[in-house]
Amino acid sequence: MTKEESNTDDKQIKINKWDYLALKNTLDDAVKEVLITKYNHVEDYSLIDCRLFICTFAVLVAAFALGWDFFNPFPKSRFVLTVCVALYFITMGAITLYTTYMEKGIFAVTLERDESGFNPDVVWEASSYIKKHTGTYCLTVVRKDSVGGDIREREITKSVANYFDEEGTLCQDVIENEVTKVREAVLKLKKIE
Amino acid sequence: MFDGFLDDLKRMNKRQFLYQVLSFGMIVSSALMIWKGLMVFTGSESPIVVVLSGSMEPAFHRGDLLFLTNYEEEPVRVGEIVVFKIEGRDIPIVHRVLKIHEKNNGTIKFLTKGDNNSVDDRGLYAPGQHWLEKSDMVGRARGFLPYVGMVTILMNEYPKIKFAVLACLGLYVLVHRE
Repeated sequence: MTKEESNTDDKQIKINKWDYLALKNTLDDAVKEVLITKYNHVEDYSLIDCRLFICTFAVLVAAFALGWDFFNPFPKSRFVLTVCVALYFITMGAITLYTTYMEKGIFAVTLERDESGFNPDVVWEASSYIKKHTGTYCLTVVRKDSVGGDIREREITKSVANYFDEEGTLCQDVIENEVTKVREAVLKLKKIE
Repeated sequence: MFDGFLDDLKRMNKRQFLYQVLSFGMIVSSALMIWKGLMVFTGSESPIVVVLSGSMEPAFHRGDLLFLTNYEEEPVRVGEIVVFKIEGRDIPIVHRVLKIHEKNNGTIKFLTKGDNNSVDDRGLYAPGQHWLEKSDMVGRARGFLPYVGMVTILMNEYPKIKFAVLACLGLYVLVHRE
């Protein structure tokens, strides 16, 4: 991608290209952006909201333990502290389980509204990971249509170098093309070249 | 590179930012809950302390890390090393039990002395206090790690280092997206 083209976009994103978390986050956000703006999907926040809820609960438990211990100094607060500590570590375990088995790297859940309003929404899930030390970005897009229980899945694996220029500026048009390609592939269930 | 330092933060949406704050909160609360868990487990209000003075040499040196327990059912005996608080002093003291009086109902009164001090601790106690009681005790020493506490001592003597380190870590966690 030439630099002039991406420069025309005034909100171009430049990151530290050696930071692989930054690469992943930027790409994830860009993919989600395409799904929402280009295809008019509506984002479904329930997956991330649930995680936020568990995290908030954990922090509140810790804050409560701190406050209780402050007003009822230690030997008195022993029972409450035991309960809070147990609850906190159970919650931490729950967060780990939730991110490993429920989220599984899914960074965006979007709903494709049926224009006639007759059929239920089609759910699109996008998940991704970057293979460490290889610099390849693996994007998986799943389309779940509750009509007929149709679940389709396509994966695209490309080096992050495809999506960024030498200075670490995101090439939004490239990512848009790729997402379009994956989406078409999912719809037609054909191979991605 | 440094001017792009806040860009990550600016690009976040509401939920991502909230998660960022929560993960910072969880780092702090994990540390807190491990400490509280140790308190419950050892029965001591301060399960780990750092030796600040040389009054227990050659047993403990300045900078040693001590692990304490304070179980109700274990009686205090002469010769044990205990950590105790004194009214009007912020910092607990680590010294050895020198004399002890024990009643049938289990209440005790004891006197302590630092191994490296030439006199007992009566001069250190609160005015008019001649004996320590069970409620003054923070715990008894169970194990130690040499030198590790020097970090704490350095940080307390130069609070600027402490604040600088804490500020850097906090900022890094808050700004750097997970």
